[in-house]
Amino acid sequence: MPRWAASEQHDIRFGLTPVFLSSDLELLDRLRTYLSAALGRPVTLVKRRTYQEITALLLSGQLDAAWICGYPFIQFRRRLSLLAVPVWRGRPLYQSYLIVDQGRSAQDVLDLRGDIHAYSDPDSNSGYLVTRATLAERGEASNNFFRKSFFTYSHRNVVRAVASGLAGSGSVDGYVWEVMSEIEPALTGKTRVLRKSEWLGFPPIACGKTLAGTARATAIAAAFMTMAEDAAGREVLNMLRLDGFTDGEPTLFESIAQKFELVRSLG
Amino acid sequence: MSSLIQRVRAWPTTVKVPLMVAGLMIAVSALLSNQVLQRLAETQQRHLEELTGAYLDGLSSAIVPQVLREDVWEIYDQLDRTREAYLGVSALNTLVTDADGGILAASDPRLFPTQTALPSSLRDRFQGGDNLVLDETAGRAFIRRALAYQERPVGWIYAEIDIRDLLAERHEVLVALILANAALTLLFAGGGYLAVSRMLRPIGVLAEHLERGRGGRVEPIPATESGVRTNEFGHLFHRYNAMAEALNEREALAARLAEEERMASLGRLASGMAHEINNPLGGMFNAIDTIERHGENVTVRQTSLDILKRGLAGIRDVVRATLVTYKGSARERLLRSSDLDDLRFLVRQEIARRGQSLAWRNDLPPSLPLPASPVRQAVLNLLLNACAASPMQGEISFEAVVEQGRLLLAVADRGPGLPPDVATLLCSNGTANAPPSEGRGLGAWMISRLVAELGGKLRTEARVGGGTRIEITIPLLAAAEDAASCETAREDLCHVA
Repeated sequence: MPRWAASEQHDIRFGLTPVFLSSDLELLDRLRTYLSAALGRPVTLVKRRTYQEITALLLSGQLDAAWICGYPFIQFRRRLSLLAVPVWRGRPLYQSYLIVDQGRSAQDVLDLRGDIHAYSDPDSNSGYLVTRATLAERGEASNNFFRKSFFTYSHRNVVRAVASGLAGSGSVDGYVWEVMSEIEPALTGKTRVLRKSEWLGFPPIACGKTLAGTARATAIAAAFMTMAEDAAGREVLNMLRLDGFTDGEPTLFESIAQKFELVRSLG
Repeated sequence: MSSLIQRVRAWPTTVKVPLMVAGLMIAVSALLSNQVLQRLAETQQRHLEELTGAYLDGLSSAIVPQVLREDVWEIYDQLDRTREAYLGVSALNTLVTDADGGILAASDPRLFPTQTALPSSLRDRFQGGDNLVLDETAGRAFIRRALAYQERPVGWIYAEIDIRDLLAERHEVLVALILANAALTLLFAGGGYLAVSRMLRPIGVLAEHLERGRGGRVEPIPATESGVRTNEFGHLFHRYNAMAEALNEREALAARLAEEERMASLGRLASGMAHEINNPLGGMFNAIDTIERHGENVTVRQTSLDILKRGLAGIRDVVRATLVTYKGSARERLLRSSDLDDLRFLVRQEIARRGQSLAWRNDLPPSLPLPASPVRQAVLNLLLNACAASPMQGEISFEAVVEQGRLLLAVADRGPGLPPDVATLLCSNGTANAPPSEGRGLGAWMISRLVAELGGKLRTEARVGGGTRIEITIPLLAAAEDAASCETAREDLCHVA
């Protein structure tokens, strides 16, 4: 149990980006319970509709830490500090999937020209940046490539949009799609993975640079990294289909930074 | 068609009235059912309008900001969620278009893809300008709602609603109505039949008594059959009974009159007969005197005896004819040809008195299978009537032949013709009531009754040159029963001789 300085005697405020399970109230309850117990403090989980809102709260110091995406972490890497990285299937890595309708015959990303495309979030790596970068690598200015594109602000909603036929294709977190195919196979069954990206750094837990090294930041990092050792923590990990958390290096997100640069350079 | 109407008119009232009640009930129930169904349809439509109105109101207020932003996902998400949330409305499809009719999002994007035009199949349903259109054949309702922001149109929401439940409910109500009405109609028709049958029962009783009265005596309706009635049927029965009583009294009076007439004619005949007997008596006494004085002279004696014989023969003929006619025996004997010839003796006096002549033709076989007495009585009456009707020195003719198994008797006179009421009585075939006046037509009525009893027919016709011919045809009886009666007849005759 960490010992807190007098200035740190307030509740822990932890931010969650709209990852796929943020809508699962039971999971959120268990996570809050686990963190409160591990940190010896009441923990408030703060949820917002967009990545941007959570990032802004984190940067402005209104959150102690947050589970954010690798893309905002790269965008604001000078002002953010890495606390922990989830381990999925033995590695702190995941992929971005380009999904299409199950019955569609498209074989290549270029076959999707003129589509209505569903993105997850403009600040999502897997749900936006990877597809933009892929098109950029193929020499396509993505603003014109798709007939229309929209944001669903949730990976699960990207799957829903493609499965319902609202969108012809979508960009989604590979980890989310894989877990959903276990939990909601009827929904993912209506979609097909057209392209998987290379392995990229898993969305990390980060805190503001100013908080780095404090007992609070250290305690939060420890709470995540020892989650697998605790029964309640393992239940949370089971629900998240994660192995645990590790202290990843910022270099883990280097390939995301390259994609960011590529897309930015093309405007 | 007209024959059908006539046939329907001929139906008994006990069938027609319940049928009318049933028809009325069917008409009323059809009218009521129609009204109920119409009200139900209106209520359902209002209910549907309210329900879908609430559905679209809720949806449109949530969707307008997304439509302004053309946020395809949020619109879809709303449509998808509200479809599950509004259980009262079975929305099969909902879609949102922009102000130009381009689809922004639909609950089923595969059916209505984003960024395509609204299909004409859906757009055309609202050509009438209504915002709620029912397609009962397909079990669908189509609704739409304009989306406005700051009083400017920004788009439309369209929804296709499953209304099969409503239609099924309406159908169930229809079936229930039909069953209930059919049961009620049957009940009322049956009740009407029973009530009308009961109401018309007195008519049946009356008709039955009238029918019975055709055969003879008109019987009053006993109190046990008529029941105690104070209504119009009670009065009717009362009047019928009074009429029956009056008729029966009149019948009895007529019978009495007929008997008196018979006695009167008997008196006339008796006087005629006395005259007939008296006529030869003077000659016969003279003959006896002659025999007493000059009996020794064979020629004189023989001549006197001849006179006596002829005189006695004449008396015998008169007596025999009278005996045969008025015997009144319970045992009826069969008609012989000579029975009719005998009648000449009975009317001879009357004809002679009036200086009339009688042309006589009797072509009958010796015996006929018919009762003698009524035939003789009828012919005698006709002959006497003909004498009375014909003027002095007039000619009367009589004819009797057998034709095609029937006895044909005809009496003709040169009188002024039959009065219409007497002719009617004669030809009434025995069904006419007895004449009310004293004597007039009574003979004709009796003849008619006698002929009717024999199963015969009577016909009258005017003769060329004046006068009337009356013709009687009587079917002959079977010959079997003849022999015994014939024997009896012979005995009678022998006895007279």
